[in-house]
Amino acid sequence: MNRLVTVAEMTLRELARRRGVLLLLLLMPLVFWLIRRDSHVGQSIRALLLGISWAVSTAALFATSAAREIEPRLRLAGYRPHHLYLGRMLGLWVLGLAVSVPFFLLTVFDTTNLRYAGIAVAMLCCVAVAAPFGMLIGALLPRELEGTLLLLTVVAMQMLLDPASSGAKLTPFWSSREIGTWAVDHTDDGYLTRGLLHGLVVTVLLTVTVAGVFAVRLRRRRHLHHVPLT
Amino acid sequence: MDSDRRGQWLRGVLDLCVLALLREGESYGYQLAQSLDAAGVGPIQGGTLYPVLLRLQRTGLVTAQWRAGGSGPARKYYQLTDDGRAALHQGGNAWLAFVAPVTGIVTKGVEG
Amino acid sequence: MNADEWLRAFAAELHQRRVAVDAARHVVAEAATHLREGGGDPWLVFGPPPSYAAAIVESIGTTPGPRPGPVRLHARGITKRYGRRTVLRDASLTVRAGQIAAVVGANGCGKSTFLRICAGLVSPDAGEVSVSGRLGYCPQQGGTADFLLPDEHFVLVGAGQGVARGPARRAGRAAARHLGWDAEGDVLARHLSGGTRQKLNLTMSTLAEPDVLLLDEPYQGFDQGSYVNLWDQLIRLRDEGRAIVVVTHLLNQLDRVDVVLDLTTAQPGGRS
Repeated sequence: MNRLVTVAEMTLRELARRRGVLLLLLLMPLVFWLIRRDSHVGQSIRALLLGISWAVSTAALFATSAAREIEPRLRLAGYRPHHLYLGRMLGLWVLGLAVSVPFFLLTVFDTTNLRYAGIAVAMLCCVAVAAPFGMLIGALLPRELEGTLLLLTVVAMQMLLDPASSGAKLTPFWSSREIGTWAVDHTDDGYLTRGLLHGLVVTVLLTVTVAGVFAVRLRRRRHLHHVPLT
Repeated sequence: MDSDRRGQWLRGVLDLCVLALLREGESYGYQLAQSLDAAGVGPIQGGTLYPVLLRLQRTGLVTAQWRAGGSGPARKYYQLTDDGRAALHQGGNAWLAFVAPVTGIVTKGVEG
Repeated sequence: MNADEWLRAFAAELHQRRVAVDAARHVVAEAATHLREGGGDPWLVFGPPPSYAAAIVESIGTTPGPRPGPVRLHARGITKRYGRRTVLRDASLTVRAGQIAAVVGANGCGKSTFLRICAGLVSPDAGEVSVSGRLGYCPQQGGTADFLLPDEHFVLVGAGQGVARGPARRAGRAAARHLGWDAEGDVLARHLSGGTRQKLNLTMSTLAEPDVLLLDEPYQGFDQGSYVNLWDQLIRLRDEGRAIVVVTHLLNQLDRVDVVLDLTTAQPGGRS
C-alpha cells in the first residue's frame, strides 16, 4: 500500500512541477468550452468534457513516457508491476479530479437548468477513462509525439462521430457524451445507465490492458534465476 | 655528483645506516633524515626513508611505537631489536668488507 | 595540490591497493607528521601519491584481501542477436561476493547489452544468469526522474524496500556523501549537471543495499575527484562483500578489479 501511495505521490509531484503542461492542461478544456459557448449549451459542455478527457490522457501519456527508464530499476528495487501502474493511475485520477473541479464550478455558475450531478458523473467518467487510456498509449508508443498524435486522432474522431452510430460506442469517451446528453437535454435515464456502464466497462478494460502491458514489459525474464543467498 | 648514482648506492645501504643510527637510541623518521643529512650522506627524502623503515619493522629488525613528543605532534619512534642488532653487525661487516677493496681500487684509479 | 590533498590522495591510493586499514592509517599519519615537522612540497618529499603508495605496498605488502565469498552472479553462454548481427556470443562471467568484475571491449561490442541481460531487463537468445541476493542496476543514463528532487528519488527507492521516508532520505544523503556530493539541495534532477545526475543514479542503485551491483559506465561526466570517490566507494562496497560488475572502457582501472571480461576478444568480427 505504501509503495502504491508513494508512486502516486511522486506522479503528482512530477506533474505539478511541469507548470507548462499543467497550464495547457487547464487551457485546453477552457478553450474548447469558450469556442462552443455561444452555440447550443450542450455543445459547450460536450466540448468541455472532451477537453478534460484530452488533457488528462495527455498528462497520463507524458507521465508514462517519462517513467519508462526509471521503472525497470524500481522493479529491481522491490516494486511489483501493479505498484507501478496502479500507483501512477491513482496519481493521475487525483490530478484529473483536481482539474475537473474548477470546470464543474464553471458550468454551475454559467449555465442554468442542468442536471449538475450528471455533469459531475460525466467528468468522473472522463477522468476514469482518460488515465488508463493515456497510460496505455504511453506504454505502447515509445515516443511522446506519436502518442500525442494518436490521442489527437481519437479525440477528433470522438468529436466528429454521430453519438448514435454504433461506431461511436467503440470510442473510449462515449460514456461522458451520453451522460452529458442526459444532464443537458434531460433525456430519459437510459442515457445515464448506458453511459455509466460504458464508462465502467471501458475503464476496467483499459486498466486490465495496461496491467497486461506492464506485466509483460516488467516481467521476470526466464533466463534469470534467483538463487537464495548463501 | 651524479645524484642518480648516489641514489643507487643509498638504496643498497640505507637500511644499514638507519640501523646504525638507531643503535645510539630510538628515533623517528624526520630526525633520522636530519641525522643522515648532518652526517654528510646528503638529504634523504621521506619517500625514500619510510619504505625502508617499514620494511625493517616488518622483518622485525626494529619495533615502533607512537608517542607524543615533548611539544610537537605524536611521532612514531623506532627502536632497534636484538635481531636488528645482529643484522647490523652482520650486514655492517659485509659492507665494510665490500667497500674496503672498492675504495682501494678506486683510490688507485683516481690518484694514478 | 596542498599537503592535505596530497595526504587524502595518498590514503585513497593505499586503500585501493588493499593496504590493511590500520597500517594505512599509520603510514599516512607518519607522512603527515613528517610534512608538519619538515615542511616541503609532498610531491618532492614523497613523490606522486600513486608511486609512493606503490613503494609502501612493496615494503609492507597488502592484506590478503577478504577472500572472495560464494558466487553471487553466474552468467553462462550468453548469446544475443539483433536481427542478423550477433552482439554477444557465448559470453560467460562469474563474480563472487567481495569481487569487482570489469566488462570491457570496444564500442558496440555488447557491453551494455550484457549488463542488461544480467539485470534481467533484456532476454538473451541463449544462455542463463543466476543471481543470488538482491540485484542493483545503474543504467548509463536516464535512470532518474527529471521532475523529482534527489530526496524524492531516495524516498521512492526506499519505499520499494519498505523503508520509511526519513531513514530513506538519510541513507540516500549518506551514500551521496561517499561520492563527494551533498544531496540536500532543492534542485530538480533535470537541473543537475551530468556528473551530479550520474551520482544520483549511482546512489539510487546502491541504496537498496544490493548483493550484486551492476554499473554501466557509472562515471560519465565525473571530474577527477568524483572519479577517485567512485572507486573508493566501489572498493568499500567490495570489501563489504558485494559483488560488483562495472562496464568500462577505461583500461587503466583494470589493476583494481578482480575479474575482467573482455567482450572484444570473445567475438572476433562480431558477425554471424
